Amino acid sequence: MTKRRIGIGLLYSRSGSYSLISEACRSGALAAIATVNADPDRDLAFVPVERDPQGNVDLYGPLCEEILRDTPARHVIGCVTSWSRKEVIPTLERHGGTLWYAVPYEGFEASDHVVYTHACPNQHLLPLLDWVMPAHGRKAYLTGSNYIWGWEVNRLARERITQAGGEIAGERYLPIGSRDVGRMIDEIRYARPNFILNSLIGPSSYEFLAAYRDLGQRDPHFLPQTCPVLSCNMTECELPAIGPAAEGLVAAGPYFRGIDGWPDAGRFGSSHEAAAYVAVLELARLLHGHPGAEALPLSQLVAQRGAGGIIDPETHHTVLPALIARVEGGAFRLLHRRAGVAGDPYLTRGTSAVIAPQLRVVS
Amino acid sequence: MRRPIRIPTLGGARAVILHRPHATVQALLRQLHAIGLEVTQAWPEAGAEALGADYLFFDADMGHDGLFPWPAGQPPMPLIALIGSEAPGRIEWSLRAGAHAQLLKPVGDNGAYSALLIARDAFDAQKALSAEIADLRRRLDGRQTVVRAVTLLATLGKTEEQAYAQLRQMAMAWRISFEDAAARIVAMRDGPEPGVQDG
Repeated sequence: MTKRRIGIGLLYSRSGSYSLISEACRSGALAAIATVNADPDRDLAFVPVERDPQGNVDLYGPLCEEILRDTPARHVIGCVTSWSRKEVIPTLERHGGTLWYAVPYEGFEASDHVVYTHACPNQHLLPLLDWVMPAHGRKAYLTGSNYIWGWEVNRLARERITQAGGEIAGERYLPIGSRDVGRMIDEIRYARPNFILNSLIGPSSYEFLAAYRDLGQRDPHFLPQTCPVLSCNMTECELPAIGPAAEGLVAAGPYFRGIDGWPDAGRFGSSHEAAAYVAVLELARLLHGHPGAEALPLSQLVAQRGAGGIIDPETHHTVLPALIARVEGGAFRLLHRRAGVAGDPYLTRGTSAVIAPQLRVVS
Repeated sequence: MRRPIRIPTLGGARAVILHRPHATVQALLRQLHAIGLEVTQAWPEAGAEALGADYLFFDADMGHDGLFPWPAGQPPMPLIALIGSEAPGRIEWSLRAGAHAQLLKPVGDNGAYSALLIARDAFDAQKALSAEIADLRRRLDGRQTVVRAVTLLATLGKTEEQAYAQLRQMAMAWRISFEDAAARIVAMRDGPEPGVQDG
């Protein structure tokens, strides 16, 4: 089959504080591009157009503009932080472009120009809280990096935990990149919560986990069995940077390596990789057999070609399994699974009422 | 004084868009559907069904007083103005109509969610304030009655302070407000024999 050559933007930072996640997404996207290009049954081949914002949030808008203005690419796979995603949306609107976003985020967004292929809170945070409160107790300490991801995840956690009769023992934020975790550890030591929700990113998170492991060695209350650290954004791609301090960490996500789920189990190193891979394959499916479809705005593309695909036409979110897994011996082991959870970015579609039904702990 | 914001239940909430068919309506419909609301569009009048809406968006550019099925400036739900022309006369009219928030036209990819939350908060705050003002006004109006009741009780041989305390006890015993208790005392004097005993 003759292949149409279609430009596809890649907007991932190859350096900076969250580069491990960018690299995971990027390799998932590149693997999918290679798959599509090698598939003789697809009438298209993707030509990657790469720009590297180097972890600088102010470069995302201009570089996205460069892709959409100076090249034929209309679809961009990219962005890790919510902050950078918000930066590129006006550019996407102006040029009728589409961003495929493959990272968990805090919800409360449903752009007409973005497809969200990773989890939002009803697919990560809420199942995680539903699991942890019956298992460990309702007294929480909340941490996060100082930007919208941590703020919003913790706001929602605070709301859910207090609704369930729990309490917030403390809440503290660090600037992105900061390793100044001493005060958090002190507060945790005195507050003695039942669990810690960690929405720190990059080096702040690695430092925190290392310091918390030390604390656990001094005081057994802070061992993972009694007071675990939870995360909605931790995946395999960051485990090497954390080392043994990751042991016992409990994370929520749509996919963990080696655990049956979504998509081809075992094929991907992390859910970031898997979500970016799925994004590119879905784009290929939408464009296959329809020359010119690559120039359509996302809403029209989904309206005309979306049937049988993964994109909810109203919210542009996807149906994902909600898995909860714990790091044991350097890999995630499944604790709990909720299958087929549709993304509900505004928590208005009935999933918001789910508080601790009878959950079965798989061990 | 500031209350914490309450995130309203938006899933299945009903919104009416009072605007002629237009790309702005399409964009707003998309946003509201994504958020999870049920939406109807109406023009040139809101119609009676608008009374059952939880939120109402209206066209500030073409709007006029006959648009709403309620007295001017007294909407029973949060109103959001869709403003294209930022002319002072149109903004003045929108404010008189009772707008709690606004969205600028052309409506694009976002803005509806924050407009809904801000309008709901402003509407609730306004309602709470109105109720508080009405209560204060009622109590202010009752001031003269309180003075009369205290004087009346004082004529039964009490000091003003004791009379005041007695009136407070009566209000508590009768489970009514201080002002209402005073009104009752005054009415008893004006009517048949008071028969008020120490309480």
